[in-house]
Amino acid sequence: MLDLEQRWELIDKIAKRTIKFGKYRHTLKDAIAEITVKPLTGIPIAIAVLYGFWAFFVAFAGFFTDGFLVKLFDMHWLPWLQEVFPAGKESWLYYIFVGDPLADNCFEAFGMLTSGLFVVIGVVLPAIVAFYLVLIVLEDSGYLPRLAVLIDTVLHKIGLHGYAIVPSILSLGCNVPACTACRILETKKQRFIMRTILAIFIPCGAQLGIMLKVIPETVGWVILYLLAGYFILGFILSRIVPGESPELLLDIPSYQRPTFSNVGRKLWVRTSSFFTTAIPFVLLGVIIINVLHLTGVIDWLATGLGPLLSGWFGVPKETVGALIVAFLRKDLAVAQLSAIEMTKYQMVTSVVLVSIYFPCIATFVMLLKEGGVKGFLGSLAALVATVFLYGGLLHLIWILLGVA
Amino acid sequence: MKNKFASVYFSIFGLIVLSLGIAELIIGIAGRSFTWGILEISGEFSLWKGIILFFVGFFYLSSVKNLNEIHQLAKNVMASIMLWIIAGMQIFAMITESIPGGEEEGWINTWEGFLSAYSPPYIPALILLPFSLVTVYYVYAREK
Amino acid sequence: MRILLMGHPNVGKSAVFNRLTGARVTESNYPGTTVDYTKGRVRIEGDSFEIIDVPGAFSLEPKDKAEEVAVKMLEENKEAVAICVIDASKMERGLYLALQVIEKGYPVVIALNMWDVAQDKNIEIDVEELEDILTVPVVPVTAISGEGIRELALRIKEASLVKIEKIIEKAGN
Repeated sequence: MLDLEQRWELIDKIAKRTIKFGKYRHTLKDAIAEITVKPLTGIPIAIAVLYGFWAFFVAFAGFFTDGFLVKLFDMHWLPWLQEVFPAGKESWLYYIFVGDPLADNCFEAFGMLTSGLFVVIGVVLPAIVAFYLVLIVLEDSGYLPRLAVLIDTVLHKIGLHGYAIVPSILSLGCNVPACTACRILETKKQRFIMRTILAIFIPCGAQLGIMLKVIPETVGWVILYLLAGYFILGFILSRIVPGESPELLLDIPSYQRPTFSNVGRKLWVRTSSFFTTAIPFVLLGVIIINVLHLTGVIDWLATGLGPLLSGWFGVPKETVGALIVAFLRKDLAVAQLSAIEMTKYQMVTSVVLVSIYFPCIATFVMLLKEGGVKGFLGSLAALVATVFLYGGLLHLIWILLGVA
Repeated sequence: MKNKFASVYFSIFGLIVLSLGIAELIIGIAGRSFTWGILEISGEFSLWKGIILFFVGFFYLSSVKNLNEIHQLAKNVMASIMLWIIAGMQIFAMITESIPGGEEEGWINTWEGFLSAYSPPYIPALILLPFSLVTVYYVYAREK
Repeated sequence: MRILLMGHPNVGKSAVFNRLTGARVTESNYPGTTVDYTKGRVRIEGDSFEIIDVPGAFSLEPKDKAEEVAVKMLEENKEAVAICVIDASKMERGLYLALQVIEKGYPVVIALNMWDVAQDKNIEIDVEELEDILTVPVVPVTAISGEGIRELALRIKEASLVKIEKIIEKAGN
């Protein structure tokens, strides 16, 4: 075997004999590639790109959800189902599958076939497709690694490096593949930090879609608060978790034109894998929560946890049901919150709580699988501390602002 | 000659973009709205659109000196692309809003409703859009 | 016979894999998309081979999980042929890994991928000379469009063991 130096020497010799560098013309593409990574020009460009991302997401999801699917579900599906459902309106079967007989929209009915299907197909499907479509175009064009370079310095402060942007952005689609993507980070420490902060703070596409529908005016602030938490927790973890955070030399691919076939294929793969996991969980979630309601467990829990919820977090005790659902599906939990009466500020707090409180069960399994028992318990400890402190902090902010 | 024309053109255009950006930014922060002729500054994200427009104007202005040089041109092209992102998304939003019917109406919008989605007033980026296409012409002419 | 696809992250291994197998592995334009390995089958002139898309590695001294997997794959498949995918516009870096694989005693075929990018950048590579020095097949390919993939597949069986000393000797002249 050669050693490192001998090998490079050999490569040098080979290269000298086989490679000729022609006169390198600086093309417009190269010059554009350059200015997208220089901070002075790159950051404004990144703002424009992210704005485009968000604007597309909102318009696309709004077109399908508000334009057609809400109408379909509220004006046709719900009345029809309330009419033809075989079991009586007082029966528990009706309660579980159709929900509230007086409801006039699918958000409030909360039956498996009403709210359950509406959340998955009416709200989350368009959001997920919109999100992945833009993400895949950004991925294939080669812009994503440039974003990584831009954000490299910031992420170094939390013990990560630029490429942590890849799992972070993936996570905005779904936390599950994002946990796997953490493997591109070098050390155990980095992977632990990344998994923990993304599982806690990054809302998934399903949740974003439903937040957009339920709290359109405040969703920006919620995201901002979560993003701040992402950096704060990352910063703390990078100080207390033992291990290394090595530098990484980023390698930037050149810009490419995304191909239709690859974009289409990836969109299909991601959307369908999302759905096979999402649909059973959402439907199951509705059943479980309705059964818990019927058996009185929710009331019992609400009374028991009420002082903690209203005292520490400042949210109504009814949110306990949503918090239970949140363990199964975040989107469903936010949908359930929308039916509870509370102030705008309490709403923001509960949405934040639902986000940072236990990740959904699928992510949970990934944390265990990727992190091992030790890593999993570590993430869990960070999570519990975060829920109490960071969730409580929001209540404190409202008190200081005089709106709690 | 052509260069000089382009430089003068983008200096003026850049200044207009820059000032509209600042206006949109201020109105966005204040949370107000403003209409003047076919120009309208209002709605969500005015703040962000304003920030982006501000940089678009800034990029145009900083590109005019020696525009023919590839790095300068890249700044100019990128400024136009940023403008197209805002305007393009606005057009996309108009299209998606124009097609479905209103709350209590049918599935598809009425013809009047459809057309009214495209009628003025427009946001600044949309009005600026046609003038930014000069970049395309310039790049194309330069290649030749 | 097994075929291992080796190479740096983001040199288009997954694209080569898809082209060879007709499989549908997702390709992305950023490094580290493949963190696990993917298996597929390729038919070359009537014979069917198993081919493995190994995660991207810079060298065989593992520094992250993907590289660990790559080294493990090599060790588990002592009889395999390796296709080393190299970014033609950054050939020296890719040769480092290719040489390491050769030294470990695997028959190698080199795929000079992203040939179009190299040409755009006006980089000229003397493929015949390179083939002569390394004494392994070297095939320029553009996996995204599929150019050169057929030749690559056909030349896999020309891969043979090479002693590194021989390469040093040839390169010296």
